Amino acid sequence: MEYVNPEGLRLDGRRPMEMRQLRAEIGVVSKADGSAVFEMGNTKVIAAVYGPREGQNRSQQSNDQALVNYLLQSQPACLNFVLSKRPSFWVMSLHGCQVRCEYSMANFSTGDRMRKPKGDRRSTEISLVIRQTMEACILTHLMPRSQIDIFVQVLQADGGTRSACINAATLALADAGIPMCDLVTSCSAGYLNGTPLLDLNYVEDSAGGPDVTVGILPKLDKVTLLQMDSKLQLDTFENVMQLAIEGCKAVASYIREILLENTKQLESRRGVK
Amino acid sequence: MVLLGQMWHSSLSYVEATYSFWSLCGVSPGARRRASDLRCRQRPNIRASPLHPADLQSHSVALAGYPTPISVMVGLSLGEQNFIKGGIAQDLRTDGRKRLAYRPIFVETGVIPQASGSARVKLGATDVIASVKAELGKPNPSHPNKGKVSIYVDCSPTAEPTFEGRGGDELSTELSSALQRCLLGGKSGAGAGIDLSSLSIVEGKVCWDLYIDGLVVSSDGNVLDALGAAIKAALSNTVIPKVQVAANASSDEQPEVDVSDEEFLQFDTSAVPVIITLTKVGKHYIVDATTEEESQMSSAVSVSINRQGRICGLTKRGGAGLDPSIILDMISVAKHVSEQLINKLDSEIAAAEACDEETEMDS
Repeated sequence: MEYVNPEGLRLDGRRPMEMRQLRAEIGVVSKADGSAVFEMGNTKVIAAVYGPREGQNRSQQSNDQALVNYLLQSQPACLNFVLSKRPSFWVMSLHGCQVRCEYSMANFSTGDRMRKPKGDRRSTEISLVIRQTMEACILTHLMPRSQIDIFVQVLQADGGTRSACINAATLALADAGIPMCDLVTSCSAGYLNGTPLLDLNYVEDSAGGPDVTVGILPKLDKVTLLQMDSKLQLDTFENVMQLAIEGCKAVASYIREILLENTKQLESRRGVK
Repeated sequence: MVLLGQMWHSSLSYVEATYSFWSLCGVSPGARRRASDLRCRQRPNIRASPLHPADLQSHSVALAGYPTPISVMVGLSLGEQNFIKGGIAQDLRTDGRKRLAYRPIFVETGVIPQASGSARVKLGATDVIASVKAELGKPNPSHPNKGKVSIYVDCSPTAEPTFEGRGGDELSTELSSALQRCLLGGKSGAGAGIDLSSLSIVEGKVCWDLYIDGLVVSSDGNVLDALGAAIKAALSNTVIPKVQVAANASSDEQPEVDVSDEEFLQFDTSAVPVIITLTKVGKHYIVDATTEEESQMSSAVSVSINRQGRICGLTKRGGAGLDPSIILDMISVAKHVSEQLINKLDSEIAAAEACDEETEMDS
């Protein structure tokens, strides 16, 4: 099947280096501390952030506290061992806040109706990926003994849900006022019919070609997430990854615009200007 | 001094005392919410005890135990609780509404392009999405001339952190079964708000299966009413493709059906009922309760009423017992409120569809 026709247009009329249309909105779920909707073409995702708030697992708390106090006084050298061997929630959160994430897809998000919206392996894997990516950029040491929950709900899935979720989570964290070292933006790219393509949709994704998802910290110029499936030549891979990074930077400038606009609105509402 | 006396009297812990002090100094709402989270961990305030599932009965007047994690989430102080109850008694609620006034309703249709019909309803801060998908299927052997409808509600963890993982399952099943009771009638399919025989294509062989999916994105009380309104709006937005049946099929084979892309049938939703929940706080009933008001309720009755003013389903929730005359009174109040709600909802749906058509013509 031809994914790039001879004139150089893809199935939905985009150029190979063109991203889908981006749309974002902040403050959608009023009950959450921070929330955002992010749309990349037909992929629509809602992210809500609750936190920082008190940690949830309190059953082991008193035991751990006693143990840690004892070790601090008598044998501080053992403390490292304890922390590495028994990483219970409370002990881990001593140093910084715990970040938890859950990714769920709505029943109606895909073309065929999904039976089980949560708990399947793909959702668990994506939850883990988002958690690790966001944890890298949140300044967790500023909020010890607390917990941040990031919930991502996919309303419409048309390829690139992972990237849309990370972008939505960044906006939601910014809306919640949680200190981060930089924004995290993500974009995917692929290689079909001999051309690197930016921002694959569902049809192009299921074509069997490679799919490279990249997440970067734009200002610091560092890559935090890199995933690829299928196979690719090494020099082609460099091109595709570079293309994805350009896409991430474009998303970052859009996110910055949205955040600036939101701040101006907040300012005018509070009567600052 | 009086304030301090009150604090000691209700024996608040140190955390709560600190919170009350800082709230006088005007702490931001975010910190206040987190502080109230801290408070409710210290002293859970269980108001309505949930009934055992064995009490659930299958006929239409059911006593359903509604699990109330709500009062544990919202940590209200004694002063706030008295304020809510007193306001309701004086017909002036916390947000200025009268007892029988709804919050502003916003309806948006066609939000899920790949579904046959969809709608999003915002009732204040409560935000729900309903989608309808029509698929070809085989009818139930006991009802060969009727289609099938199944309703499933999912509570997203974006609404409440406690809905993470399997936490929202209890509430989801309660909402799904309440909606099925209200909209789908009895086991034989009789008395359903949706005309099931219109979904049949070939008797005994092929019919339409409607899958109605609800998603609770944000919950601030009165989720059942919002879901009922969203399902009604989604059904009025639903288009089912016309089907041509191959004429030369023998009686044993599965007939060939040709689903047309061009012609569509609009669904008839004039008989679909709306759901009105009346919450009893103290001696009075309120309509469209927020989460804080629901935490103060003694019991609630959800009535589903259609345009002709007939009752299509009834559910009573909450542990406190109600005098039968009060239930009849609540039903008549619900009927009175339903006329305004149905008119408002229909005008909102029509406006949303008109808006939808305009954007379609523009693009």
